[in-house]
Amino acid sequence: MNLDFSWLADPYYQYWLLRGLGTTILMSVLGLVLMMVIGIAGALIIHLRVPVLATWTTLFVEMFRNTPPLVQLFFLYFMLSEMGLTLTDPATGQRIPIFSGFTCAVLSLGLYNGALAIEIIRSGLLAVPLQTVEGARSLGYSRVQTFRYIELPIGLRLSMPAMTNNVVSLIKTSNQAALVAVADIMYTATQIMLENFRNLEVMIFVWVVYVALSSLAVVAMRYIDRLIRIPGYGAVA
Amino acid sequence: MSMQMRTFILGMIGVPALLALVFLTVYGEQAGAIIARILPRVPMLLTGSADFSSLEGGFVANILISLWSMAIAIVTGAMLGTGLIARSAFVRLPSSLVMNLLRNSPWLVVLFAMLYLLPFEIEIFGFTVSLSPAVKAVIGLALPVTANIAEIFRGGVQAIPSGQWESASSLGYRRLQILRHVVIPQALPLMVPNLMTMYSMLFIGTSLVVVTGANDVLSVARTIIAVDGDAVATAIYIFVLLLFFLFCFPIAILTRRLEHRVGTSHP
Repeated sequence: MNLDFSWLADPYYQYWLLRGLGTTILMSVLGLVLMMVIGIAGALIIHLRVPVLATWTTLFVEMFRNTPPLVQLFFLYFMLSEMGLTLTDPATGQRIPIFSGFTCAVLSLGLYNGALAIEIIRSGLLAVPLQTVEGARSLGYSRVQTFRYIELPIGLRLSMPAMTNNVVSLIKTSNQAALVAVADIMYTATQIMLENFRNLEVMIFVWVVYVALSSLAVVAMRYIDRLIRIPGYGAVA
Repeated sequence: MSMQMRTFILGMIGVPALLALVFLTVYGEQAGAIIARILPRVPMLLTGSADFSSLEGGFVANILISLWSMAIAIVTGAMLGTGLIARSAFVRLPSSLVMNLLRNSPWLVVLFAMLYLLPFEIEIFGFTVSLSPAVKAVIGLALPVTANIAEIFRGGVQAIPSGQWESASSLGYRRLQILRHVVIPQALPLMVPNLMTMYSMLFIGTSLVVVTGANDVLSVARTIIAVDGDAVATAIYIFVLLLFFLFCFPIAILTRRLEHRVGTSHP
């Protein structure tokens, strides 16, 4: 087998791949932000047992955890266009949908990994020592204050290892956006394959890129974990 | 236990109801007409044939592909896992490298790579075996799962106290014998919940098979949408979501029950 990577020297392909990489990173970062917002809000609702909302949140978590993110993405993509939310471009008078493929991809990443994040943060909250919580209560913190100042800061730190896996999973899942024609690096790669027929080489290249991205995320998460560690508290890795 | 039962009942009733609500909100008055249009397509989505005459496509194909991948991945995963805990660094480091590489690569990319890496047909002992898209999908899915199972295997084995190793070796067992006769039987119950979670993830991953051109439920769904028009797309995808949910959710609940019994809860 002889692999030919000479296509990588083509400046046009380089430009494509860089733009695709940029889209992938932007999509992952936005998805991450949405994931954390959903994760913390959901964990708060379930942990404080807010009457009706807690049931809804449980349903939400079970639905998104037990169905494929790809189907969720297709579903969102078609549902939002079916509901016909469009903007009228003032310059051209053209009607453009509010929810582009990119928005749908970010939404679906945030929802799927957010549902996983709710569970992760919740088990982190459950691992906070009971004595600490009781101590806060006896100092006169209200239920919400205890959550905000005691349980969440410790719980989030305890959930870091599982959260790292979730972040890596989000980055890896983001390539599914290529299937709704978001121009990320996966999509760019399929376009390049259509032009030069170097299928295997292009796929190996994308493989390496994704492994590098996930490894980078792991290193970054470890760094953050070290940065926010409370001295003298928790396991020393 | 009753807690899991409650979640189970809540999910089995609540999530279909939620999807029905979404369906009604999206279609409004047309809901009845849309149901009448997609009802004849249900056998197609389930089995890939219009009248249940064959069981070669659709959702059944997803189940078959997931079972085959899991069967392959358990065998290769146990081998790779044994490599991970080997004493010789010549075995351990390459195993660890392979495991990390496979675990950190997106499933979709591995599937694409397998699509082009594997030949169209291979010759074994004079027999020509053609590799259909479904076979390539099975191999492509088995690879990342292998890495995850190897990790589960390593974790399970390392959870067994080292005293077991020492006492067995003082009785004259060799390393692989200890693994096979002493450690694995004890580690297996600890691994089962994790393996089931992995199977769940693998099953969810079979939705990606659509890129290989195998006749899975999503390919069938896209064909139906191409034939019947975009108006039914949301309804079809709601149905596919429901199918996946009804398959994976009981497994998830059963896993949690087992975890509860074995005494290891999710990290």
